[in-house]
Amino acid sequence: MIVLNSVIKKFNTVAAVDNITCRIAKGEYFALLGPNGAGKTTVVRMLLGFITPDSGSIFIDSIPVSNPEARRRVGYLAEHHMIPSHLSGLEYLRRHASLIGFSGKDALIEADRLLEVVSMKGREKEKSVAYSKGMKQRIGLAAALLGHPKLLILDEPVAGLDPIGIRDVRNILESLRDDNVSVFLNSHLLSEVEKTCRTVAIMNNGKILVKDSVQSIIGDGETLEDVFIKYIQKEI
Amino acid sequence: MNHFLEITGYTIRDQMRNKSFYVLLGLCLLLVLMIRGCYGGQYVVNGKLLDNTMVAWYVSKIVFQVIASGMFLIAILLSMKIFSRDHEDGSLVLFLSRPVFRHQYVLGRIAGTWFLCLVFMFILHAAIFLTVWVKTGSIIPGYLAASLVCSINLLFIAVSVCFLSLYFPDFISAVFTVGILFVGYISDGGYQILNSQILKTAVPSAAASQPALWRILYPKVYMVQAYADSIINQSSFNNMGPINPMLNVFIYIVLITALLMMVFNKKEI
Repeated sequence: MIVLNSVIKKFNTVAAVDNITCRIAKGEYFALLGPNGAGKTTVVRMLLGFITPDSGSIFIDSIPVSNPEARRRVGYLAEHHMIPSHLSGLEYLRRHASLIGFSGKDALIEADRLLEVVSMKGREKEKSVAYSKGMKQRIGLAAALLGHPKLLILDEPVAGLDPIGIRDVRNILESLRDDNVSVFLNSHLLSEVEKTCRTVAIMNNGKILVKDSVQSIIGDGETLEDVFIKYIQKEI
Repeated sequence: MNHFLEITGYTIRDQMRNKSFYVLLGLCLLLVLMIRGCYGGQYVVNGKLLDNTMVAWYVSKIVFQVIASGMFLIAILLSMKIFSRDHEDGSLVLFLSRPVFRHQYVLGRIAGTWFLCLVFMFILHAAIFLTVWVKTGSIIPGYLAASLVCSINLLFIAVSVCFLSLYFPDFISAVFTVGILFVGYISDGGYQILNSQILKTAVPSAAASQPALWRILYPKVYMVQAYADSIINQSSFNNMGPINPMLNVFIYIVLITALLMMVFNKKEI
């Protein structure tokens, strides 16, 4: 599903991503972990074609990410999700739906369905300027889920959400498991990752230190947090 | 193609949601209403009553250029924030996280802004055209066609500002574009004056020299305006160099748009 081959990305002379090779299978729930500045968001931006790697190649469903077609069945939620202030939640979702090929009426039906899923029904006609950070995040998640994506790229999806919102996101992700949807998750909330993802990779200084199933890398009596700290300290 | 049209439509709607757009529209309509009185007056020069149609014709020609110049400024204001605003409010991510080519996004944004300015200018010119018709009973042939001719300048301005805004802050790119227009107005305006029939008659010795190559190749925004004026006058047009100014401006539009897309394709988001 996602293939990264020897990907290198430098900003000036600093390698934000340093020769990463990684493969994420169809239907896999994958989390990329790492401290601030590890290069996680750079990987996400490259997956979406927002930035181009200096060398190496990235494919989604065998399509190079430089081709926008690779994003046809990809849903993306940014860490600090922004919605143009002049748009309502519904208008925002309709724009997204239209861009992935829904016609006017179908776009409305699909937007309506997802407003229900993210518990934003009833607030959808308000301008986004009136939304809280958590509400924007919910609308962003709805946008990511539009059109039954085959891959979800979620950059800190629970940032700004209250505990109920966090639980809702977890439940939504759980409900997608049967649809064979792949999830690429960037998160600092290790307890959430542990509950949601089966595979994790720990990244630091642009390199992947380990990539394996959660069960394999967590030893007896350990938590994912312990493992994370162990790898990062070893690196330091 | 479909995404290009979609983004063009969104751009028109987004721009029309700006309060400043309505303030500018209101001010322009106010100007048009204010000059309405010029068409109904009785003008006496040296005790002789002037022909109302003639006065209306001259006033309309002046207002035509005033509206076009005002629209240049509006086009600059609407274009200068396209990319920075989209970056700040999340619109850029909205479009480019979907299967949209970057050139579709860029062209859609520019086309939407240009189309809006074109319609805006045409409405104002049409208001003058109709006012003359209603007040004097005569029509100015070529007036509306001249308005469409001028719209190529609006496109030139939109692509120039957008291109410059990739390198400079919005305000600087706007000032830079005004500078480009200003230099063209001085260069081409001077040429037009030196080659005018009035000057040649008044000062026969003031023969216009051949303009320098850079002046011939410079974006001919002013000359397009002069060409539009000649359409209204139904007179001959005193061109500088062998290339029609519309073709000159069109070539610049193509070149700048190509550069803009090349740069934007490499831009990191």
